[in-house]
Amino acid sequence: MPNVADTLSPQNVPSNNPSGQIPLRQPLVEMRQIYKTFKSPAGEFTALKNINACFYRGEFVSVVGKSGSGKSTLVNMITGIDRPTSGSVYVDGVCIQELGESAMSAWRGRNLGIVFQFYQLLPMLSLLENVVLPMDLCDRFPPTEREERARALLRLVGLEDYADQLPAEVSGGQQQSAAIARALANDPPILIADEPTGNLDSRTAEAVFDIFIGLREQGKTILMVTHDRSLAQRADRMLEIADGVLISDRLNGEGSLS
Amino acid sequence: MDSPALPDRQPIIRARQVVKVYPAGGRPVQALKGVNLDVYAGEFVAIQGKSGAGKTTLVQILTGVDRLTGGEVWVDGAALHRFDENQLAFWRGRNVGVIFQSFYLMPTLSILDNVVLPIDLCGDYHPRRSRELALELLRQVGLEEHAYKLPSQISGGQQQRVAIARALANDPPLIIADEPTGRLDSVNAENIFQIFQSLVNGGKTVLMVTHDEGLASRASRRLILADGEIVADDFVPISVSEATNKTDD
Amino acid sequence: MVRPRVRKILADLWGNRMRSLLVIASITVGLFAIGVIATLHRVMTEDLRLGYAAANPPNIRIVAAPFDQGLVDHLKKVEGVRQAEGLRGFDARLESRPGEWIGIEFKAVPQDETRQIAQVRLVEGKWPPGDREVVIEQYKIADVNAQIGEWITIELPSGKRRPLKVVGVVSDQTVGAFASGPGFFLAPVQGYVNQETVEWLQQDLPYTYNMLYITVDGDSNDETRLWEVANRVRDEMEHAGGTVINIAVRGSYDHPNRRYLEALAIVLVLLGFLIVFLSGFLITNTMQAIIQQQIQQIGILKTLGSRRYQIILLYMGLILVFGAIAALTAAPLAYRVAFQRVVPLAKTINMAYRGPRFLPHVILLQVGMGLLVPQLAALAPILQGSRISVREALSGVRESQQGRRGWFDRMILRLRGFSRPTLISIRNTFRRKGRLLLTLTTLSLGGAIFIATFNVQVSMDRYVDMVSRYFLADVNLTLARPERVLEINQVLSDLPGVAYVEAWGTARSEMILPDGATGENVQLLAPPVDSRLVDPVMIEGRWVKSGDQNAIVLNERFMSDFPNLRVGDVLRLRLNGKETDWIIVGYFQLAGRSSGLLAYTSRESLLRVINQPDKAMTYRIVAEGKDLSKEEQEALGRAIEARMAARGIRVLDVTTGSYLSSSAAQGFAALTGFLLFLASLTALVGSIGLTGAMSLNVMERTREIGILRAIGATNRILLKLILTEGMLIGFLSWIIAVLAAFPISKLLSDSISQALFGNPSTLAYTPTGFLLWLGAVLILSALASILPARNAARLTIREVLAYE
Ligand SMILES: Nc1ncnc2c1ncn2[C@@H]1O[C@H](COP(=O)(O)OP(=O)(O)OP(=O)(O)O)[C@@H](O)[C@H]1O
Ligand SMILES: Nc1ncnc2c1ncn2[C@@H]1O[C@H](COP(=O)(O)OP(=O)(O)OP(=O)(O)O)[C@@H](O)[C@H]1O
Ligand SMILES: [Mg+2]
Ligand SMILES: [Mg+2]
Repeated sequence: MPNVADTLSPQNVPSNNPSGQIPLRQPLVEMRQIYKTFKSPAGEFTALKNINACFYRGEFVSVVGKSGSGKSTLVNMITGIDRPTSGSVYVDGVCIQELGESAMSAWRGRNLGIVFQFYQLLPMLSLLENVVLPMDLCDRFPPTEREERARALLRLVGLEDYADQLPAEVSGGQQQSAAIARALANDPPILIADEPTGNLDSRTAEAVFDIFIGLREQGKTILMVTHDRSLAQRADRMLEIADGVLISDRLNGEGSLS
Repeated sequence: MDSPALPDRQPIIRARQVVKVYPAGGRPVQALKGVNLDVYAGEFVAIQGKSGAGKTTLVQILTGVDRLTGGEVWVDGAALHRFDENQLAFWRGRNVGVIFQSFYLMPTLSILDNVVLPIDLCGDYHPRRSRELALELLRQVGLEEHAYKLPSQISGGQQQRVAIARALANDPPLIIADEPTGRLDSVNAENIFQIFQSLVNGGKTVLMVTHDEGLASRASRRLILADGEIVADDFVPISVSEATNKTDD
Repeated sequence: MVRPRVRKILADLWGNRMRSLLVIASITVGLFAIGVIATLHRVMTEDLRLGYAAANPPNIRIVAAPFDQGLVDHLKKVEGVRQAEGLRGFDARLESRPGEWIGIEFKAVPQDETRQIAQVRLVEGKWPPGDREVVIEQYKIADVNAQIGEWITIELPSGKRRPLKVVGVVSDQTVGAFASGPGFFLAPVQGYVNQETVEWLQQDLPYTYNMLYITVDGDSNDETRLWEVANRVRDEMEHAGGTVINIAVRGSYDHPNRRYLEALAIVLVLLGFLIVFLSGFLITNTMQAIIQQQIQQIGILKTLGSRRYQIILLYMGLILVFGAIAALTAAPLAYRVAFQRVVPLAKTINMAYRGPRFLPHVILLQVGMGLLVPQLAALAPILQGSRISVREALSGVRESQQGRRGWFDRMILRLRGFSRPTLISIRNTFRRKGRLLLTLTTLSLGGAIFIATFNVQVSMDRYVDMVSRYFLADVNLTLARPERVLEINQVLSDLPGVAYVEAWGTARSEMILPDGATGENVQLLAPPVDSRLVDPVMIEGRWVKSGDQNAIVLNERFMSDFPNLRVGDVLRLRLNGKETDWIIVGYFQLAGRSSGLLAYTSRESLLRVINQPDKAMTYRIVAEGKDLSKEEQEALGRAIEARMAARGIRVLDVTTGSYLSSSAAQGFAALTGFLLFLASLTALVGSIGLTGAMSLNVMERTREIGILRAIGATNRILLKLILTEGMLIGFLSWIIAVLAAFPISKLLSDSISQALFGNPSTLAYTPTGFLLWLGAVLILSALASILPARNAARLTIREVLAYE
């Protein structure tokens, strides 16, 4: 299995590269020596052990690993949903641990689109309203255009007919699709998705993947956790985690990072 | 398609003209449009279909978790369409192991207690034996070291496996699972499939909704739902499917 | 190993301590209020009756010309008489501060205290008094202005002054007991001396009795029987050569302040009912909130095969723990507070408080409410949760609700122009209409009671102000004997500071009952017909006006004692031994039904009857300045007294108008204070209820807060969201409370007024209650929403979202 440093392509040299080469590109996301230990009455559990990784603008990265290996925990470090026990995370030059909860929330709303493993839609709002909400919260797009945009996003994920249903009134897969639409609402530069296709049949999953490819084409950065190796291998780059350790980080194929 | 192949065997599940309509705020959604289905003991059925096809709805009807709008369902001789909520609950607790798409664990109970709970509620509860049984089930799904955590302290895939262990706690003859491997990596998914397979070999019946082509193709029977109807069913008489499974192993 | 289902209960209790605490606090405060009210009610009604009876009060009091022990012994043999005791009573003045004289009523007691009737209870010092010693009744001890061991100066009607040493304080249940007197609150200071002291004080008279106390055999509460015995005694007395001046009767349980207490009791019962309701709603609301949060878990339990009885038992167990903790906390707390609160009240209404005691029925009520009501309240949602399909329970969307959305839901869904976060709040508020309704009811009821008590209090205060309208004069002067009006007018008119003098007639009379028998004593006041010094509060009819012949207006006591007497009827009175008919032209309201029988007529009518055209004993004097302070009135009183002394005119009594109206209002003041206490009690229930309801509401939102955080909500937005929802509910409840406060105020105020005066009140409204409650609602809803929201926001989002 290739070593993490070995697999880094020349243009992907991270800023903390000990070789002293001048980095050709600034990483968009940089994780340095991340450790995460959970304490519970049942004992301590280290879910992440010395994670170092950088992601660059326009990359489509997939993260794979066994269940319980630490994928969600890793993703939570980048989204600021959880804080590392030690180490630091920079996103677009911002050291996100240094932000307060409120500031982090605002920052997150503008810069990240997140798809959660458990959709996390607001139960009292219709799917449409769920998609409009991030725009309202971060005051993105003129208020009159928001609904229009939300409808377009729902159409994109095939839910135009379900716009006015409450989350509890649609199927699991439909909720997941709605969560993807919501993540795209603010047109964020970075999209982070935790198993976005876990509840989708292969055809719908394919459609979602195509959306992601399309976003990458627009220059967005995408980080996707998945169990589906065939999907994972179609991303530009694939990280693999086992027992909280980053065991592999490699590029898939050629030319996608021009 | 729904004619039983072996006349001497009664189906364990018999659904006739099952219709389910959700009121959905004045714009009714017909999620099942007259489904007929016979499943025989010892079958391993995979249900597939696009998102929104009605798989969860069907599963909920067959487990008595939801009520039908029309039609009839017998499971193991019990006429579910005539049961009230209370009878359904007890019947389900003893006869069916249910695994939900969202797992629905009890948030305030430890993983272990979650698995013991069904035994406490309607099984043969014995403080020490039940606990050991639960630990054994957790070991099978690879979670023994997490036994004393709360559901919120384990990963999504781990929660899914807890739900599977819980469904097996009362050793029910029928297991109905809604995408039990949806959040699992291939190794764990394979492990779960093996568990189901060995249950089927032991004479139990398993009904599993899945999106995974590979797993579905290895079940003894595949159903495909589309728009609330069964559009494909490769039903083969049970003896043949048993033979196929034997050769697979 | 503990069974998982039991563990679930423990986890629910302990896992969310804040929530458990709120639930328990909500139940506790309700039970506490109920306990306090039930205890007060029980103790007050019981102790007043029993305490009075325990003093062995006289059933008959006869005032007569001096008689001796021989006659008393003779009268003991009259049929129906159980005990008879003679005693000596007389009025005097005492110097409360240098130059300041107030009235005192003395009773002589035997040296060896062999008295059996109207026993007093020693509060402090010693009893019975020795030679040249005096013991004072506790109620007006403050007016005496002397400690035990100090000396006071007495001035007798003859003008002689004597020092007496204060040696003790007692409580006498019979103060104000007889209808001819001014009633308890207007009664003067009571002093007790022994026979030797009396002889020393009144050397001119040999020691004799002028009053007879009698208790009767058998039923001592039947007034007609009491009158029968009284008349037999009178006949016997007159037969033996005695002269009966007047007779009064009273039942053995009939404490002088009974009516007053009835008013209090009615307030307590009414408020008690309201608070039981309020607590019931509060507990129900809390339980529904708790169970509502558990509907999903009930769904899970059902998928695992749990039968209805198991679910019910499970949650009943949980609720039992809540209820039991609440009852255990509330009962002793209520006990303490209630008995603490009784003490000052007992003093103001002269109740023989018998000390804290265990009241089984109160405990039973509390435990019953604490254990039963929560169960009943929770049963409906639990049953509902176990009746709906598992899918509905799990998803939180009810098919029945889903099917028919009412106009309201459609309106809420169609709301536009609000930002999404505001929409979330609005929709959250109206999502569970049943719950919302319950919460609103609880909060509004609490608020309405709170507001109402303020209104009632103000009405009482206003009435206290009205009382002073009978005492408009700055100084009331009573002379030792009638003097010529012209002369007094002359003496006073050139005194600096005096603006105006009115001579008032006063007389004591006896009612002549339709069958010719003598009835109760009636105090007659007769201001000039054009008097500027009375501004009466009429209940019915009109005041005396010029041109009237023998017109009379009666106080509220007549209304309750003689309900058959109507305006236009004739009342026969014996005055100066002569029977006269008077025409009732109206009823007025003064110090309540516990005061004595009091009537006003015009001085002109009175003079015509008693034939004493130009003399008067009482004078009312108005000062030149307006609205004199108490001190200024006292100064004027001293100047008047000095002037009288200089002219050699003997003065019996000089009292300031403010002293009179304040003692008349004293009873109301106690009532007002009590109302304030009850108001704070409801405010407590309301506030805790509000806090609990809001906080539980926000706790249900923990997950939503997490999601909002995750998709970009800043603190400000979260705050706005939570506050909008809390304040919306709070404000809605305030509006309803305001509306509900009107009928509740009316109800409370009418029942108090009915009990005190025998007629519905004139209700006053004050913005105080309305505004205070608005402030409380807004501040509390804000606090109660923000605190749990802050807790929720402090959890890392991972914790909130980790679990589906
Ligand atoms: N409570 C509800 N009210 C209204 N419509 C509903 C409700 N639940 C499900 N539906 C609709 O019924 C259809 C079938 O839903 P179901 O959950 O059975 O799909 P599914 O096959 O399980 O899909 P998935 O693979 O996405 O979980 C969908 O179109 C869904 O939108
Ligand atoms: N709060 C917690 N306390 C203790 N251990 C935890 C906690 N949260 C997560 N873990 C453990 O950390 C490990 C990594 O969890 P994580 O959720 O990152 O896994 P994952 O790779 O996303 O798995 P999955 O594919 O099943 O979602 C798991 O073994 C889990 O049990
Ligand atoms: Mg995960
Ligand atoms: Mg489904």
